Amino acid sequence: MPVPAATPLVEKRPTDGPKTSHTQGSREKRLRLLSMRVLLLLLLLVIWQVASLGTAPFVLPSPGRVFDAWWSLVVTAGFWRDFGITFWRVLMGFALAAAIGVPLGVLLGANEKLGEFFDPVLTVVNTVSSSIWAIFALIWFGLSDWTTIFVVFMTAMPLILTNVWQGTRTVNADFVELAQTFRMSRLQVMLKIYLPTILPPFFAGARLAFGFGARVSLVAETLGASSGIGYRLRQAADLVQTDQVFAWTLTLVALMIAIESLVLKPLESRLFAWKKKAGGQ
Amino acid sequence: MASVKVQCVSKWFERRDGESLHVLQNIDLEAPEKTITAIVGASGCGKSTLLNIVAGLIEPDRGCLFLNGVKASEFKDWRSMTYMFQEDRLLPWRTAAQNVAFGLEAAGVGRAERKERVAETLELVGLSQFADVFPHELSGGMRSRVALARSLVTRPTLLLMDEPFSKLDPTIREQMHAEVLRIAELMSMTILFVTHDVEEAVVLASRVVVLNPRPGRVRETRTIDLPYPRDRTSAEVQQEARSLRESL
Ligand SMILES: Nc1ncnc2c1ncn2[C@@H]1O[C@H](COP(=O)(O)OP(=O)(O)OP(=O)(O)O)[C@@H](O)[C@H]1O
Ligand SMILES: [Mg+2]
Repeated sequence: MPVPAATPLVEKRPTDGPKTSHTQGSREKRLRLLSMRVLLLLLLLVIWQVASLGTAPFVLPSPGRVFDAWWSLVVTAGFWRDFGITFWRVLMGFALAAAIGVPLGVLLGANEKLGEFFDPVLTVVNTVSSSIWAIFALIWFGLSDWTTIFVVFMTAMPLILTNVWQGTRTVNADFVELAQTFRMSRLQVMLKIYLPTILPPFFAGARLAFGFGARVSLVAETLGASSGIGYRLRQAADLVQTDQVFAWTLTLVALMIAIESLVLKPLESRLFAWKKKAGGQ
Repeated sequence: MASVKVQCVSKWFERRDGESLHVLQNIDLEAPEKTITAIVGASGCGKSTLLNIVAGLIEPDRGCLFLNGVKASEFKDWRSMTYMFQEDRLLPWRTAAQNVAFGLEAAGVGRAERKERVAETLELVGLSQFADVFPHELSGGMRSRVALARSLVTRPTLLLMDEPFSKLDPTIREQMHAEVLRIAELMSMTILFVTHDVEEAVVLASRVVVLNPRPGRVRETRTIDLPYPRDRTSAEVQQEARSLRESL
């Protein structure tokens, strides 16, 4: 039975006027930010150039030299192979960490006794340094992809698990009660109340985990791989090809910035548009 | 259709220091079919607890609850009841429209029908323009209207409301009163609601239950025999409200 509105109340929406000026303001701000970043980059390049003038190239190669080295690397197929294999190992370790960390975090969060019981394990895992995992991995997996994957996994998994676990504790009992009054199934409560609550802490944890994972993957590769960026870095270092070390490092930095600004930031602002920004705006 | 009967219900809460707090004592209350019943009483006298018991969220320690004449433990048709909590309990990650749709999702209503009914109900509470706005961008009064829409959209036959209009300004409150009366009539709803505002109780309800505090117990049950629609400023309403206030 439809209920036609007899006397719809009129409520005006804020007009579009201030909104357009707001977007204009934010574009101006973005432009200013961009020019500031470019300026910073130029400044760093100048400092680098000046510093390299008085030093031997194997200590600090000049920007031009590093660019030449990078260019001659990029055109080889081997560069992309190493790049790809490292990326694949990090992604693999990260995916495994998420696939295991999320359900485990939910389980420990949902069951208080279980959580209490396993709490110390997490502390221990968190205190073991990634280099130690790398050594263990070397013993267990030898020179294989799994060495790196394992190290990334052991670094990322506890981070994701902890964040998801803490996230389940912030689930609002009032909301669960609300779902109960509508007689929602357990699965629906999981999907409609728990999941949206866990998503922000999961995202924060996953972001950290990916960053750490990417960094420790290099350590693992220098110790236990015969391919990948970490391996090439060590090779270049052994041969005192400092310009190559720089080239690889810059590639990595560029990659992380690209992932951050092209994937994570947009994803975050899409997923969490509902969040109230602290400090207004 | 829909009715509520609370029989000799008592409730104690375990306090953190181990002592137990007697919140409700031998409550008898009836909300007959197609009537509006108001519960009034001082803050902390157990009104929300009573509604929680009727909604089946907490078990009474003593006494019985009957819904549509059936004992609560054997009652099946819980989806015909909605409960508008004292707090709006809007999910912050959902827009106003998505919040209203919440109950329909639970009932498995299809997407197209959901959309239509949500739009209809948002218009009813005067928030059509705000369908795509997140709760933190709404005012307190708007939020409670979204919560009201969420409890109406599933077309319940029994509606429980805990101080539903307390955050609205007087004009909108009166408009909401008129709307609720209209819908209640149109959909043959039974309503049980809590209020602090005795005038509101007199304008809307045909029965008013007055609770005394510590422990909460029924002081009296009044029937208000005035014809609808009732004018808040009329002498009869004012008269009833005054005598009700004295009894509080
Ligand atoms: N879950 C709980 N555990 C322990 N004590 C509770 C709990 N819920 C309510 N109480 C206590 O029970 C009493 C009644 O609470 P209730 O919320 O039902 O009051 P109320 O009549 O709705 O008050 P108000 O008008 O302020 O909303 C209060 O003293 C409160 O402290
Ligand atoms: Mg209350």
